[in-house]
Amino acid sequence: MTYYAAPVARLVEEFEKLPGIGHKTAQRLAFHILNLPEEKVESLAGAIREAKLKIKYCSVCSNLTDVDPCSICRGGTRDRSVICVVEDPKDVVAMEKTREFKGLYHVLHGAISPMEGIGPEDIKIKELLARISGENVREVILATNPNIEGEATAMYISKLIRPLGVKTTRIAHGIPVGGNLEYADEVTLAKALEGRREI
Amino acid sequence: MHIDYIKLINFRNYGMLDMEFSKNFNILYGDNAQGKTNILESIFICASGRSHRTSRDMELIKMGEDSYYIRLDVEKESGKKEIEVSYKQEEKKRVRINGVQEPKIGSLMGNLNTVMFSPEDLMIIKQGPSERRRFIDITISQLRPSYFFDLQQYNKVLVQRNTLLKSMQNNRRLVDTLDVWNRNLAGVGARIVKVRNEFIEKLSEYSEKSHRKLTNGEEKLTIKYSPSIKADSLNDVQNVEESFIKLMEISVKKEMEKCTTLYGPQRDDYDICLDGLSLKMFGSQGQQRTAVLSVKLAEIEIMKEDTGEAPVLLLDDVMSELDQNRQEYLINNLKSVQTFITCTDKDFFSKKSGKELSFYHVVSGCVLKE
Repeated sequence: MTYYAAPVARLVEEFEKLPGIGHKTAQRLAFHILNLPEEKVESLAGAIREAKLKIKYCSVCSNLTDVDPCSICRGGTRDRSVICVVEDPKDVVAMEKTREFKGLYHVLHGAISPMEGIGPEDIKIKELLARISGENVREVILATNPNIEGEATAMYISKLIRPLGVKTTRIAHGIPVGGNLEYADEVTLAKALEGRREI
Repeated sequence: MHIDYIKLINFRNYGMLDMEFSKNFNILYGDNAQGKTNILESIFICASGRSHRTSRDMELIKMGEDSYYIRLDVEKESGKKEIEVSYKQEEKKRVRINGVQEPKIGSLMGNLNTVMFSPEDLMIIKQGPSERRRFIDITISQLRPSYFFDLQQYNKVLVQRNTLLKSMQNNRRLVDTLDVWNRNLAGVGARIVKVRNEFIEKLSEYSEKSHRKLTNGEEKLTIKYSPSIKADSLNDVQNVEESFIKLMEISVKKEMEKCTTLYGPQRDDYDICLDGLSLKMFGSQGQQRTAVLSVKLAEIEIMKEDTGEAPVLLLDDVMSELDQNRQEYLINNLKSVQTFITCTDKDFFSKKSGKELSFYHVVSGCVLKE
């Protein structure tokens, strides 16, 4: 039973493969595109292709970039002695939005997870170690996600860095700023209590 | 706390039930298969988010219908709570508290506390360790949300570690990462051990008391934790964590052969003993039943102490299995606890009818108050 003409069906199918898109949304996107003027469609298709072709991993920090090294790694105003280690390029964007962090990044592209078959060799840990021993690094901030896999990855990396004599820190867990204590879930609150500090 | 009012629509064999209940003893009597336990089940669902008999909500819907609805009005010291749980075929279960839709089933927890005692509870004694762990895990989780979270975390880490032990067969270099999972597992595991140890100590103390009363001081009931991880002090998280890590380090060879984690809270157990002898091996059917009742009464006390309010007690078809003395003890000692009792014969109760007892006759999905 086919509801769509073959090319429409294919378009819907392709959209459905994208993260966060279900059948209804895929269908809406497909029909929206069919209603667009041709040049808009060309521009969209071109943007997708260009992004895919031009974007590569930065040879220093492994972040996604169109120039190598990436704009952060070549930036003159950044503190080159601090490296913030994150799991995903999206995390770099999140950190950059804080405008607080002036150091460099290192993107692992994943976290250690035996269940998904991801070991230390499948993420960019080797590259990180090479950087630490090569450059003049003072501190490594481990900003992997506060879940089991992120925690394990942070622990593993800290174990490898320790013999190199570089200060290693882990980002804190706790209560979101501007929030109310009464709305925080018990586990987060317990973690925040655990990580309290003197003022 | 007590339940004032229950409304059921298309739940099990009830097309429509609309009934007020007493805050003391509610005795639901009637022949078999008339729907007595279904009322207890609906209460249990509102307390814990799931049925004690089935994990499939489909089975809870009345034949030929496509949804069920439960509403309980609970009177607590902190005020009234109106709990609604509904389920429509192929949709998610919905929870509303005081008319406000809650995003998670978990938000039910803590609104209504119940202790259920049904014939299946004998499994705590008769079955293997996993049933015993399940019982304390459910109770502790009701009292401590962080314990529930730790359990979930522990199981996730455990699955990761077991998978790693398997993949290490083919890729020796992965041995490097084992240590990280050991530390993760031991960290969470030690917290679980500590909470279990504290809880079992308390449960043992309170069970001993209630059992002494139930048996006129003839028998001494004790519950002893036998953790998979041995440490000098089980309440010292750091100490347990270190012992756990050491144990994993020395048994790595064996674990790699078996491809699974051989030690930890997933292997915990506890012994229920009468006068020092294991109930599972040496107890009579009646002794086992009384012991479970003592443990359940202890559970009520612990909940009372922890939340400041007595939970609602649900006794499913257990009165007939106890002798006269124990039945009387129960009735005399549960005055401050709202209790729902199902039985086939009301005669026992009518002999000592007081104003605390309310009778409800259950006949094929209809409840008549006497």
